[in-house]
Amino acid sequence: MKKIIEVKNLTKEYKSLKAVDDLSFDVYEGEILGLLGPNGSGKSTTINTILSLLNFSKGSIKIMGKEMTPDLYEVKKEIGVVFQEVAVFEELNVYDNIDYFCGLYISDRKLRKEYIQDALELVGLEEFQKYMPKQLSGGLLRRLNIACGIAHKPKIIFLDEPTVAVDPQSRNNIIEGIRTLRDRGATIVYTTHYMEEVEMLCDRIIILDKGHIIAEGTLDELKSLAKIEEKVTVEGIVLNNKCLEEINSFKNVQDMKYGADILVVTYKKGKNNLLELIDYLKDAKLQYDKIFSERPTLNDVFLELTGKDLRD
Amino acid sequence: MIIFKAFLKVLNKYKATVILYTVILVFFAGFNMKDTKSNQGFIAKKPDVLIVNNDTNQGLTKDLIDYISKNVNIISIEIDEDKINDAVFYRNVNYVIYIPEKFREDFLSNKNPKIEIKSTGDYQASLASLILERYMKVATIYNNKGMDEASLISNINNTLNKEIEVEVTSKLDNDNLSKLTSFYNFSNYSFLAAVVFIICLVLTSFRDEKINKRNIVSSTNYKKFNQSLLFANIFFACLLWLIYVLLSLILFGNIVFTLHGLLYIINSFFFIMCAVTIAILLANIINNKDAISGIVNVIALGSSFLCGAFVPMDFLPQSVIKIAHILPSYWFIKNNELIKTLETFSWVNIKSFMFNLAIIGGFMIMFISLNNLVSKCKRKKC
Amino acid sequence: MFIHNFKYALKTLFKNKMLIFWTFLFPIILGVFFNMAFSNIENSEKLEIIDIAIVDEEEYRVDDFYKEIFETLSSGDKKLFNVNYVSLEEAKDKLLEKEISGYIIYLDNPKLVVANSGINETVIRNVLEEIEDTKDIINNLVQLKVQEEILKNPEVLNYMESLTARIYEEAVNELNNVQVNVKDISKSNLSYTMIEYYTLIAMTCLYGGLLGMTAINKCLPNMSSNGKRVSIAPTKKSTMIVSSVLASYVVQLIGLSLLFLFTIFVIKVDYGRNLGLVVLLACVGSLAGLLLGVMIASVIKAHENLKLGIIISVTMLGCFLSGMMGITMKYLVDTKMPIVNKLNPASMITDGFYALYYYETTERYFFNIFSLLLVAGILFFISYMFLRRQKYDNI
Repeated sequence: MKKIIEVKNLTKEYKSLKAVDDLSFDVYEGEILGLLGPNGSGKSTTINTILSLLNFSKGSIKIMGKEMTPDLYEVKKEIGVVFQEVAVFEELNVYDNIDYFCGLYISDRKLRKEYIQDALELVGLEEFQKYMPKQLSGGLLRRLNIACGIAHKPKIIFLDEPTVAVDPQSRNNIIEGIRTLRDRGATIVYTTHYMEEVEMLCDRIIILDKGHIIAEGTLDELKSLAKIEEKVTVEGIVLNNKCLEEINSFKNVQDMKYGADILVVTYKKGKNNLLELIDYLKDAKLQYDKIFSERPTLNDVFLELTGKDLRD
Repeated sequence: MIIFKAFLKVLNKYKATVILYTVILVFFAGFNMKDTKSNQGFIAKKPDVLIVNNDTNQGLTKDLIDYISKNVNIISIEIDEDKINDAVFYRNVNYVIYIPEKFREDFLSNKNPKIEIKSTGDYQASLASLILERYMKVATIYNNKGMDEASLISNINNTLNKEIEVEVTSKLDNDNLSKLTSFYNFSNYSFLAAVVFIICLVLTSFRDEKINKRNIVSSTNYKKFNQSLLFANIFFACLLWLIYVLLSLILFGNIVFTLHGLLYIINSFFFIMCAVTIAILLANIINNKDAISGIVNVIALGSSFLCGAFVPMDFLPQSVIKIAHILPSYWFIKNNELIKTLETFSWVNIKSFMFNLAIIGGFMIMFISLNNLVSKCKRKKC
Repeated sequence: MFIHNFKYALKTLFKNKMLIFWTFLFPIILGVFFNMAFSNIENSEKLEIIDIAIVDEEEYRVDDFYKEIFETLSSGDKKLFNVNYVSLEEAKDKLLEKEISGYIIYLDNPKLVVANSGINETVIRNVLEEIEDTKDIINNLVQLKVQEEILKNPEVLNYMESLTARIYEEAVNELNNVQVNVKDISKSNLSYTMIEYYTLIAMTCLYGGLLGMTAINKCLPNMSSNGKRVSIAPTKKSTMIVSSVLASYVVQLIGLSLLFLFTIFVIKVDYGRNLGLVVLLACVGSLAGLLLGVMIASVIKAHENLKLGIIISVTMLGCFLSGMMGITMKYLVDTKMPIVNKLNPASMITDGFYALYYYETTERYFFNIFSLLLVAGILFFISYMFLRRQKYDNI
């Protein structure tokens, strides 16, 4: 596969703080790469340095084989960015906003008109062309924000948390849109701290924490990093120490937590774990509200690697 | 109490604005006190005259200059035509007298030399012109009689020596009262700008849609909430009023402790309360926070220009004064001007003072009822 | 690209209501207020006809000399007084009611009674003194003449009375006919309230900085998220900034034109004779104002509201020093601290208009034009240096 972006030993320091520390990764043509990490892990800084919005202390960034600089216009032409914050003109309506930003890339008016229609369609704002940004709801505004970033049909698209504080309907629309873009051949770098989205969308995932890459790979590869295979949760159950000890001694159990009438048991590889637990509870005549089993999530991977929750 | 505290906290954020308007007021007052000229002549003074003497300062020429110097305020600036022109334009000099070369010689030999003058054309210039012509007339007549220079000068001086007995009936300290009046007149601007601007900002913060919803759903009684807010507003206004009264005390001293001073203080209290009602009404009407500074500036500047806070009322055109009647500032300033001229505090005199106060009170009632009306309309819309 | 950005910069600037209010509407509103407040001020400074009273009692009635003079003074085109002939009680009442500036009683000598000192009071006193002078001169002249006649021909002593009467007549005539050779060489354009309107133009020029700043902010990634978008686009930053600044200049000039039209046709402000130079000054002045905004936008790293505050404060301070809140201030600074107003763009603009209005020569005008160009050049240079340095590190 062709490397579109190559980042080598990237380091960005703010005074004493290292926001990005010796980061190296590649982005391949046609993939959706997810950058996952908690707030402040260096996702936005990484993207901003790649885009030449920020200078960096050490390392190198190549896009399409060329060293990235602020005036590398031929490469910039192929990039589209959707920023975390909504970046549109309050004074212009939806159509004019897209036209303005698209016009920075494409001078041909006729072509631009087509592209704007495509973008409007992609984000589902056809009916809102004449609306002012103030009149749009939060979700619609986010969609406009995306349209402004990708209307010029770029080959590389950076999406920096495009779904923060967005209603479910708009969110689905956005995710659909991103898929469409990929299907049309764009390479996408997607940062978020919603792992569900990453799980749904991304071909490859990089997990960042404190400016370091702590894991990299496909979803399955990452999940295998988590030493657990299954997680069983029992809600509304009252247990004494003896019971807990007995449960802990089942053969595949790796760890167990109990508190506030909730029991969480994690298992290593093995079979019939859930069934074994249910049988035990039945025999002991213990009452409970609910019991369910899950595969490990990226959160568990993150928890495993850093000892903290992704969601905080 | 919690609302009051929140009000003070929000207020604290805007303290720079309050300080700004206060500084403007102090600056204006200071400027006014140091240089009475900025009043542009409503305090009587001798005309400012510049004499450009191209003759030698001897004999008749010297006598002319001496006479004029005695009766006017002589200004000395660098003798440079551009500087003189500037001085005339900016009214630093009302009248310039150019004494020509060989004036004395020519005059004594009956050649009637030409004196050139520059004049601003205002009444001080007219007065200066009266003084110059008076001397020249007398001198010409005596000179026609063919006297020698010494007796000519003595004759002129004998004639010009006449003084008229003048009795001034007013016992008022006009100079200081005028300054105090212009301080309070100018405070019209500071009061309106500061009080209306701040209260509007704070109230719109409280009435912000999201915050207001939170206030409504809270367990505090809605009426009580509004009452506390009103109380906080009045508290702020009183504080500002006290500061300004104290300021007038520092700037003008004892005169503030007289009955005149008391009336100024009462008058300004009524006005600032009126400003509070204006602010509450405006805050109710304006929904956009960005628009506040524009609207407040127009209202404060407009009221001040139209009602004589900046330019004395006597100098305003009649048509403007007529329009000004619909503004509370007019009655406030009119009252200040009235206080300035009060000789005695008889009922007759106080009556018109009370009348003006009553009108300001009327405005307050009107603004409050308008405010209630607006609130009612708004609630119906919801 | 240039035109694309220019077009949209125009569109966004025109749709920014706050900006348009402060740069278009506010100066016009202020102009209306100025006009209301100042239109009469110069007239009211002219000497008006003064209301006085003369206590109409025996002493006055018999004095033909006074009666005649007051009749002259209170009639005709150049009349100085409105005279009321009243009793002492009425005069006192009128003075208290401020219907008259003062009243005159004749006892042995005339006595003036006024409420307080003022310009009208001073004029009355001066006129009374002049009357006394005249009386004195006539007496002296008569005396001289009579002595002369007696020396010539002692027989005149026999018909002294008719001689005195004749000489008196002659003396009065001579006095009335004496011409004082005084020539007024004042310049004609003396209306100082014009300065107020000139400061208004200066304010509008400098408020153009708000437009410049807003336009620049849309291109700077550290000022707005839109700027971030612009700076990742494949366009030269210089192109973007220049076209945005040019757009704001156009907006500013449109605003200024409206203000000029309004002041010329509605308020009737006098800008002197040379319209071309007025336009030149307005263009140069607003360029300096615009670049002031650009400079502040590019040099100061702060929140937009703070920059806004700085531009407004600088403008208002500049206008204050150039006489917006009282023209005396301008003269005071011009004479006492000339360097301050030599550095103050608001004063350069005001002074430029003043020079056009008041002076026939254009040296002073061009001095101001060149100062403004110099200021504009310096501001441009500073902005350029700072903007060039900001290749990276701008968020």
